[in-house]
Amino acid sequence: MNTQALYRRAVRRETHSPRSALAITVAIILALVLAWLGTEAVLAAIGQQPLLVAPKDTVTAVLTAATAPAPLLVTIGVVAAIVGLVPIVLSLAPARQGRRGSIADRTAAVVDDRVIAQSLARAASYAGDVDPSQVSVSVGARRARVDVTPTSGRRVDQREIQNAVDAEIATYDYRPALRASVKVSTRGTVA
Amino acid sequence: MNSTNRFLNRLFILVVGLVVLAAGAAVSVGALLPDVQRTISENAERAVGPTVDTIDAQPWILWAAAAAAALLIVILLWFVLRQGHGHTGTLLQVEERASRNAPTGGRVVLDVKVAEQVLEEAIGRNPDVVSVDVTGFRIRKQTALRLTAHARRGASPVELRRGIEAAITEWDGVLGTSTPVVIQIVSGLRTRLASTSRVV
Repeated sequence: MNTQALYRRAVRRETHSPRSALAITVAIILALVLAWLGTEAVLAAIGQQPLLVAPKDTVTAVLTAATAPAPLLVTIGVVAAIVGLVPIVLSLAPARQGRRGSIADRTAAVVDDRVIAQSLARAASYAGDVDPSQVSVSVGARRARVDVTPTSGRRVDQREIQNAVDAEIATYDYRPALRASVKVSTRGTVA
Repeated sequence: MNSTNRFLNRLFILVVGLVVLAAGAAVSVGALLPDVQRTISENAERAVGPTVDTIDAQPWILWAAAAAAALLIVILLWFVLRQGHGHTGTLLQVEERASRNAPTGGRVVLDVKVAEQVLEEAIGRNPDVVSVDVTGFRIRKQTALRLTAHARRGASPVELRRGIEAAITEWDGVLGTSTPVVIQIVSGLRTRLASTSRVV
């Protein structure tokens, strides 16, 4: 495997969740249920008292369950179907982790969206001459929103801040690329 | 960058979800169709007696069920325990057989710690960086370094990367060979605790 292929693989793996936590949780729950069923089977085989339910009673209960009233069965079935739908959706979703990647000749880089947000906030606060605490940035998959709250009694030029933020974004070579929109609040704050 | 089999994780979750969904759908659809419910419930009730008799007559069925459960538990445990491997402590290994020019031959093993200390020292001086961690990974029979840089609040990720690449180029010169490096620029607790850089 050459370095570029390795970088592509690493960036892909660092920007998407491995879904390990969910897989481990599901596996442990399954293992516990199986351990209980196995213990019951052994206890029944050596003629001891069951822990909760003997296997024979479990089989009987499952077989007679079909005679239960229809509304109850439908409710149980629908709940189970919805519970089953959640892992299906989670297993197919891309699970982006709020990071962006970039591959160069020598290195590959993965940047937290939070670092990008802080960098855009700094650019906006310098350009608008406001305190960094008066700028809030939220970075989505492809859009960044910069909200500036001006200091009361002072004008803030929206276009200047937009230009500064756009210039900062233009230097980024991280994918997926971002587009920023700057909004200046109509209300000021006391700084 | 670890060697977790992500496809297997997702496949496992998908299969579990499909089984639960199929069971739920079968129960509710079966209950909604009166003919189906009647047929199944009658047959199931008729089957209760023979099934219980079979379990009583053939105790090995219980042992087989217990063994199958144990086997499945082992498989599930293997699945859980194989997550997240792939770290390595060895950066480089150079081996040379004894020859006329090198009468003793020999073997040099370079630890990832060497790269870690050199790069941490070099990059730590960058004012945009709060701290650096370096970890070695084994990806497809190749050693790669992951360099995690905790950015100072407001640092430009592009400038930061340029600084780190300069340090890595110097390290390449020292090492005499180049190892793949994946830079991770993050902002976490250490960023929040550190002060912002005021020098512009």
